[in-house]
Amino acid sequence: MSNPVSTSNLPSQKDAIAAAIALYPKRPFAVSDVASQSGWLKAAGHDPRNLYVSGPMGLATSVALGLAACRPNEQVLAIAGDGALAMNLTSLATIAGMKTQNLAILLVDNRVYEFTASVQSPTRDLDWLAVGRAFFGEGQCVRLSELTPEKWAGVKRPALIVADVAPSAAKPPPLGLTPAMIRAEFLGASRG
Amino acid sequence: MAETSSGGDRLFRSIAAAKPKLVTGVPDGMLAETIKLCEESPDFPYIACAREEECIGVACGAAMAGERAIVMVQNAGMLNSLGAFATMGLRYGLPFVVIVTNRGALADPNGYDIEKREAFDAGVRPMARVFDFDAGNLPDDLIPAAFKWAEAARKPVILALEKRLGGEAAP
Repeated sequence: MSNPVSTSNLPSQKDAIAAAIALYPKRPFAVSDVASQSGWLKAAGHDPRNLYVSGPMGLATSVALGLAACRPNEQVLAIAGDGALAMNLTSLATIAGMKTQNLAILLVDNRVYEFTASVQSPTRDLDWLAVGRAFFGEGQCVRLSELTPEKWAGVKRPALIVADVAPSAAKPPPLGLTPAMIRAEFLGASRG
Repeated sequence: MAETSSGGDRLFRSIAAAKPKLVTGVPDGMLAETIKLCEESPDFPYIACAREEECIGVACGAAMAGERAIVMVQNAGMLNSLGAFATMGLRYGLPFVVIVTNRGALADPNGYDIEKREAFDAGVRPMARVFDFDAGNLPDDLIPAAFKWAEAARKPVILALEKRLGGEAAP
């Protein structure tokens, strides 16, 4: 267990997502978990290469794995909250076993279920770097605050980026996209 | 003379004929031979998931990119995955194929399988199209036909494979 995090100087979830995407020389496919992560990903900048997962919580890492397997020459970034990733922690074992070379996970850790009245998550004191290292190895688990594009280019995949973020006082704006719109736009951007 | 083969090999050849971009699954005894053949295939990756719900996610990721994906799980695993199947597969209308071994049939009466089968019938059939087959007598064109159906229907399809007594009719 880690020490409690002081949230006063932490970035917002939206800014952390934007900063992680900016680490890549070419816009990666960004696959976000339902609700909070999808809302903040869109708020950080809508892009046809965004895949907004519609549920259940935690599935983004698995959806990203399927996409990464189909597009081995593209980089894929899964975006998961701490509450969400805890619901699909086994996906880290699967991804580690596959040794997927074009997949990374951005864990945005706000220690609460933001969409559910910010109830505290059971993982609020978890050392996510240590969890990630258990699956991927030490060199493949890094803090977002310590990364530059140059450093990130040298990190072997699969990798976990841990971002401590401040809990938001408000939910992100609604997606404003129907499932048909999301699917059609992403299909156009991801055709092989 | 026709080539003789086990059901597992026959299912694998039908899978390969559909030219999937990936196959994913969690083992069941009835799927073990097919999974081993998929793992050895040079034509597509087999993604061995730790939990069945992940398989649905993996298939959805492929299908969102317009690629063919196949899931192989036991009926209990499908029950574990209904949230993902509904909120991604059905909501986005993704045409992937789920092969489910429907354990607990009349010819497959393990005590620990009976409730899985009853829960599969009660929980899965009302929400998704399920086509039932004798695992020992699968059509060669099963998986290509399933993709054609799913792509026409714009939704995932479930193929339920079960052990049958001689002459037992389809459900």
